[in-house]
Amino acid sequence: MNAKDEMDAKDDRKIVAFLCNWCSYAGADLAGISRFQYPPNIRVVRVPCSGRVDPLFILIALKNADAVLTSGCHPGDCHYTSGNLVARRKFSLLKSLLDFVGVEPERVQFDWISAAEGNRFAARINTLTDQVSKLGVWDRWGSVVDD
Amino acid sequence: MTDTNTLSKIQEKARRLLEDGKVEVVIGFAAGTVPGKSTPSFISAKEDCESLVWDNGCSLNLAKYVLKEKRKAAIIVKGCDSRSLVNLITENQIKRENLYIIGAACPLSASCAGCQVKVPVIYDELIEDGSEIREVSTIAERRYDDVLEFEKLSAEERKAYVYGEVSKCIRCYACRNVCPACYCKECFAEKSLPQWIGKTTDIGDNLIFHLIRALHVAGRCVDCGSCQRACPMGVNLRLLNHKLLMEVGSLYQFEAGLKEDQILPLNTYQYDDPQPFLAKGGGHE
Ligand code: SF4
Ligand code: SF4
Repeated sequence: MNAKDEMDAKDDRKIVAFLCNWCSYAGADLAGISRFQYPPNIRVVRVPCSGRVDPLFILIALKNADAVLTSGCHPGDCHYTSGNLVARRKFSLLKSLLDFVGVEPERVQFDWISAAEGNRFAARINTLTDQVSKLGVWDRWGSVVDD
Repeated sequence: MTDTNTLSKIQEKARRLLEDGKVEVVIGFAAGTVPGKSTPSFISAKEDCESLVWDNGCSLNLAKYVLKEKRKAAIIVKGCDSRSLVNLITENQIKRENLYIIGAACPLSASCAGCQVKVPVIYDELIEDGSEIREVSTIAERRYDDVLEFEKLSAEERKAYVYGEVSKCIRCYACRNVCPACYCKECFAEKSLPQWIGKTTDIGDNLIFHLIRALHVAGRCVDCGSCQRACPMGVNLRLLNHKLLMEVGSLYQFEAGLKEDQILPLNTYQYDDPQPFLAKGGGHE
């Protein structure tokens, strides 16, 4: 790979973002309406609640994406009262398991972003894309061999 | 290591239960066809109680068999089997009153490292043999040496090991089938609408199967070790189980199957639960 190809490959990195309908998706929307710039690497999947995000979704997404962000309403602000609080426990365990088996911590991230945090959403995607572009090639669960 | 005294008490108890018509079947162990491996046995005639054994080969978790038992049953349990029964009761999979529990201390000569619950936590009758009975409240949060050692390796080394382990897997699902915590009518591994993971032994499918299997038993696994013993390929399944057991212990101060009024950690939450993922994976600046 020459330097340019490598840059392109990095720009190509795909990030799946599971965003809850009530907060984080609206936050992304606000970022758009407010014309906050963020890289085009993310592919948004709108979910009713962060509690809907099964760890299985995240692992499956990693078959075709380089990183996954899951974001919901801040604790206490869930549209369904406690969906994000239940999700938080699942995420904590998933995260520690992935760290344990040697998956880079930057690859799977969680956050709380409210509908009013358009600027924070854009900033978050900027940092995330930056972090992911600095990682080595993701093997997509063993299907891609690093050359 | 057959303790004849304990065994004869078990046999006697089983015989009496069948004789008195208290139960229709006794679930226990009989000698297996392979030396050193005892096999689950369903005894409905009192004369057959003599075939029961209680020895080093009784490592399987018998709680699994209660799930499908329609008859009024007695079950002979060691520590971990009894904890699985507690789980199944609190998860509304079985009814306590339909079951007669004969408890006896774990007969395995090489017990699982760090096991603190050799004597059953629930029973209708306990066959005492002088083994130490631990009060649930004295059971300390467990540290697993395999996990602590593994965490000393670099991320690359850890990944290489786990990839190596799961690539041995032939996806026979023996680990799942033997596990008393795995009772879903339709397992995610076999769902077809949508089909989440392929049925091949492709490394990606295997990894996802293993990670999700471990997460599905998180906070419910009692570390009986049946999954690993059942695996024909020698996959180290307990490493991931142990990691999650430790994690659940330190994040939520919980160990499964100890108390009949337990609330499983993934069925609940606290407003101030720790959020380790925010600190490690970026997030709030
Ligand atoms: S996961 Fe393995 S060790 Fe845990 S309860 Fe199931 S069979 Fe036992
Ligand atoms: S028992 Fe072993 S080979 Fe079979 S599915 Fe489980 S890990 Fe794979």
